[in-house]
Amino acid sequence: MQQIKDTGRSIQKRRWSSRSVGTHLGRSIFYGLMRIGGRRLAYFALYWVVFYYVLCRPSIRRRSDYYLHHRFPNNSWLKRYLDCYRLFLQMGKILIDQAMVGILGPKKMELTIYGRQELLKLVNERCGFILLMSHAGCWQVALSALRFLKVPVNLLLEQEEGNIDRHYLEQAQIDFPLRIIDPSDNLGGTLEMLGVLKKGEVLCMMGDRVLGSEKNYLKAEFLGEKAPFPFSAFQIASAARVPVVVFFSYKTGYGTYALNVSKIIQVPENLGRSGEAYRPYVAQFIKELEMFVQNYPYQFFNFYNMWHQMEPDPNR
Amino acid sequence: MALNEKLKIIIIEELNLEDMTPADIDDDAPLFGNGLGLDSLDAVELVVQVQKYFGVEIKDMDEGRVAFQSINSLSNFIEERRSA
Repeated sequence: MQQIKDTGRSIQKRRWSSRSVGTHLGRSIFYGLMRIGGRRLAYFALYWVVFYYVLCRPSIRRRSDYYLHHRFPNNSWLKRYLDCYRLFLQMGKILIDQAMVGILGPKKMELTIYGRQELLKLVNERCGFILLMSHAGCWQVALSALRFLKVPVNLLLEQEEGNIDRHYLEQAQIDFPLRIIDPSDNLGGTLEMLGVLKKGEVLCMMGDRVLGSEKNYLKAEFLGEKAPFPFSAFQIASAARVPVVVFFSYKTGYGTYALNVSKIIQVPENLGRSGEAYRPYVAQFIKELEMFVQNYPYQFFNFYNMWHQMEPDPNR
Repeated sequence: MALNEKLKIIIIEELNLEDMTPADIDDDAPLFGNGLGLDSLDAVELVVQVQKYFGVEIKDMDEGRVAFQSINSLSNFIEERRSA
């Protein structure tokens, strides 16, 4: 899932990719294992695959260093290897669980939702809202659980070929209206987003990844160093007069997940175009995200240098 | 003040285009992309400001596509909605 894209000035080079590092053959083997031996067999294979990636694919391993260095700054190199193994293993398990939902349906997963009443209250008030998620835990599983809201859910997602998130959604048996808004469409899909919110629908966005110009992010402290965070969700919330619901999903055990309404942020209307006006709300989101990574350090999946991601594009 | 002039002043002030004057904005130049260079979040703000100053709502992508082509198309859109 993406942050909104800019169509205008000062476009920066993107430092991350939503493409899967796995191959089509690799995924097919795992799907086959799931069908033959269920989740346990796929998990068993995963331990060895992750071991191979951590030990023999330094370029892949290095992608985790940026985050792990900030989350565990005092860990030795040996401990860093173990951290990397645990991080990739947890991500692999979540990908297998996602595929299980896709192949066998959402009932294969046990979900506990904290904050269900708060979400239903917002829906009953016919007030649209922004569900602000992050690349943490398993937001894709969260989407499959949102049918209880009984309103259309819209997801900001770039239709890039090979996008791992799009691949999941194509496989998933989601049986409620889920519409994709592509940020690479006209005006970054922003008018579409305003439109769905005005109709009382739900808009899912990511709050932890920047795509676009230096006008549209703020630098704020995250895990001890300043990192750019987009404020677009809060500007859209201010324009549409809707709240922002900070929402996390995370794996709690074998086949069990929790979804948590971490905070509901009310953004005053018409705060304007200046990013600084949104700093207090971005800070609230970052605080929730930091709490999440403190509690679930191996469920935060940003495999790029998010602290130094905005550098001028040499091609422009 | 002519509607086009008013729109230009609103765009400059509300979208923080500090280094521009109304004379710098061509009535027919595209507002987004290669023209004036506005971006997607500027579009959000423009929707808010058009409603605030002129009481005209730009409801969806189709309306936005028509209205946000240039200053001329935006002023035509506002005039049409006001007279409807």
